[in-house]
Amino acid sequence: MSTTFNRERKVAGWILSAPLLILLAGLLIWPIYLGFQTSITHDVLSEFETYPVGFENYKSILSEPNFWSSIRFTLIFALTATIIELILGFALALLFDRYFPGKRILFSLMLVPIMIAPSLMAVMFRLILNENIGVIPGLLNKIGLSYSIFDQNNVFTSLIILDVIEFTAFTFLLSYSALQNMSQEIYEAAAIDGANKTQTLWRVTLPILKPALAIVFLLRILDSIRTFDSIYILTGGGPGTTTQTVGIYIYKTAFIYGDFGLAASAAIVLVLLLAPFMPSIIKQFNLGTGDSK
Amino acid sequence: MRVKKSAIALVSALSLVVGLAVLPNANAATTVKMVLWPGPEGDAMQKVVDAYNSSQGKKDGVTVKMILLSRDNTFAKEAALMKAKSSEYDIYFTASYLVGQHAPYLSDLKGVKDSLYLKASVNSLKVAGKQKALPLDTSLHFMYYRKDLVSSLTANAAKYTAIAKTVLGKDLKPNTNPATWNWDDALATAAFFTQKYNPESPTKYGYALPAKNLLYNTMIWNDVLWGLGGNWLKNGKPNLNTPSGKAAIDVYNTIYTKGLTSPESSQWEYAETNAALTSGNAAMALQWNAAYSELSTTGSTKDQIGIAPPPGKGARTHVHALAVGLNKFSKNQAASAKWMAYLATVPAMKTYATAGGVPSMPEILKGMVATNASFANIIEYAGKFGYSESAGPREFDIYAALAEVLSPAWSGQKTSADVAAAADAAIQKLLK
Repeated sequence: MSTTFNRERKVAGWILSAPLLILLAGLLIWPIYLGFQTSITHDVLSEFETYPVGFENYKSILSEPNFWSSIRFTLIFALTATIIELILGFALALLFDRYFPGKRILFSLMLVPIMIAPSLMAVMFRLILNENIGVIPGLLNKIGLSYSIFDQNNVFTSLIILDVIEFTAFTFLLSYSALQNMSQEIYEAAAIDGANKTQTLWRVTLPILKPALAIVFLLRILDSIRTFDSIYILTGGGPGTTTQTVGIYIYKTAFIYGDFGLAASAAIVLVLLLAPFMPSIIKQFNLGTGDSK
Repeated sequence: MRVKKSAIALVSALSLVVGLAVLPNANAATTVKMVLWPGPEGDAMQKVVDAYNSSQGKKDGVTVKMILLSRDNTFAKEAALMKAKSSEYDIYFTASYLVGQHAPYLSDLKGVKDSLYLKASVNSLKVAGKQKALPLDTSLHFMYYRKDLVSSLTANAAKYTAIAKTVLGKDLKPNTNPATWNWDDALATAAFFTQKYNPESPTKYGYALPAKNLLYNTMIWNDVLWGLGGNWLKNGKPNLNTPSGKAAIDVYNTIYTKGLTSPESSQWEYAETNAALTSGNAAMALQWNAAYSELSTTGSTKDQIGIAPPPGKGARTHVHALAVGLNKFSKNQAASAKWMAYLATVPAMKTYATAGGVPSMPEILKGMVATNASFANIIEYAGKFGYSESAGPREFDIYAALAEVLSPAWSGQKTSADVAAAADAAIQKLLK
């Protein structure tokens, strides 16, 4: 009975999963296959004919300095922004982990930036920060401060600040949620043992939340690596290619230079570079749920 | 038996109704789908579409439906559609700088009367002698300047000469006629109106420099190159690693490194340049003709904006035409051709102009000078100073590549010597 029951259970599982698997196959696996197929093809917009070229596109991409400099910039940008957002988001979560007047309203306001599309946010910042007509430079001038937000020496800092403003709400929300799941008894036990607030934070709260914060970090950094719209709107990847992310590189290769084969190979190389981190992410998810299967 | 007969009758009646419903209506109009981008061109074209659909379209049996894609990504979306040989749209939006790239996907247009159009515009849409697209708006560049400021130069001749010596190392006298400027005149005037060198200047900076890594900014920089006697190619070979090429790069580099423009101009394009002029923070800029309507009616430039050709000699203003072309894979070739034939007429383009477009027809532009004074300059400059790069199917790519390679030098991060050879290499790679 046990064998039959297990077999039937497996079959039922497959049948019930079939609609989702078919959807995944259509929306995920098939496009990936088509992308791979494009990556081994000479496929340029200004040339009508396409033809297979083996791994020539991959050879070109791997020896293209602009591709690697965009990877380098992307990693530096993503790491810097994510670390700041994680620290700030967690700090805000700690702040909100108590009652205070106006908490609900402030909490809602905290979430506003992530409700706005990144591209719209970039357009808004482009106007607000415009040296000639923007509100922020106007206010800075009024108090005698002169800071060129998009001066090429300041542009990286400005991009980081904008990303932090937009996505700290994300890390805040997840950190706050993780904090709410902590039992009060743990804090009470720490208090009974004589731990002060700093000790409680470092020796109790952070170790318990470590898997959750690791997930937040990994989710945010993966998203940050994909950054395209805000930087494209604000700087176009310039001056030159100094703020060019790998997303902008791939976009320009495909839609400005019209080389779809090369762009597809760049996208696949990026996926392969990120793939080794997936087991680590899945492991953190499993630790977080207490399921170590 | 009676039930069986009733059932047969009911099924027959139902079949007749369904059949009539799905039968194609012999008199139904063919719908032609046309892509355009939003903004003044899209708004103006909608009026033409409406006029056609309510008049000539009925006779032709054609209904035109215009689809407006994003202003920034229309060409990117079209690139994907063209590569897929899609028949989703019948008419594509294109431009002189893209027609080489789009040509394999566009049908040849027949019966276009060249004499109706600005020569530079209609010819720029030919590929291998074949007309590939129909001109809509003509775009070119003006040197916009503050008339009130430039006219005051002769009253400050000594100061002007001193500042020119300090900034440029040259003995120069004020030239209050921008139509005769060379780049030394322009730079010296920009320095005079920069507060760093002239604290009494009413403008903070003398120049608004669009130095963002953007292919449309390369089109503007190209005016400097041509005005100094340069060109991308000479005898089919890249030509920027030359005295004229480096001199053109140095003009932008000088403007930026000498502080004649805002440090933030390394991220500027069309909108920021306009904002610098209208806010009174800059005295001049090379800018698209489309800016005239805003500059002449807004802020510090209202009623004070002057127009001159870009400084230099010879053909020195980039001219391109926005255009529409017939999708080779459209299933409505005949219907689309009828609509295009209507678009190629003076009445259609008059409707377009009245609604805010800038058609490439001199006859219409002349008739509308009273509403937009810059139209007279468009006709004159397109004929007298206009040029179009003819770099083949990768022309669009070359603009983008040059923006990438040159923008560090435009914004002072590198010198002309650093980037000129790389610029030639970038062009050579795309000419293969």
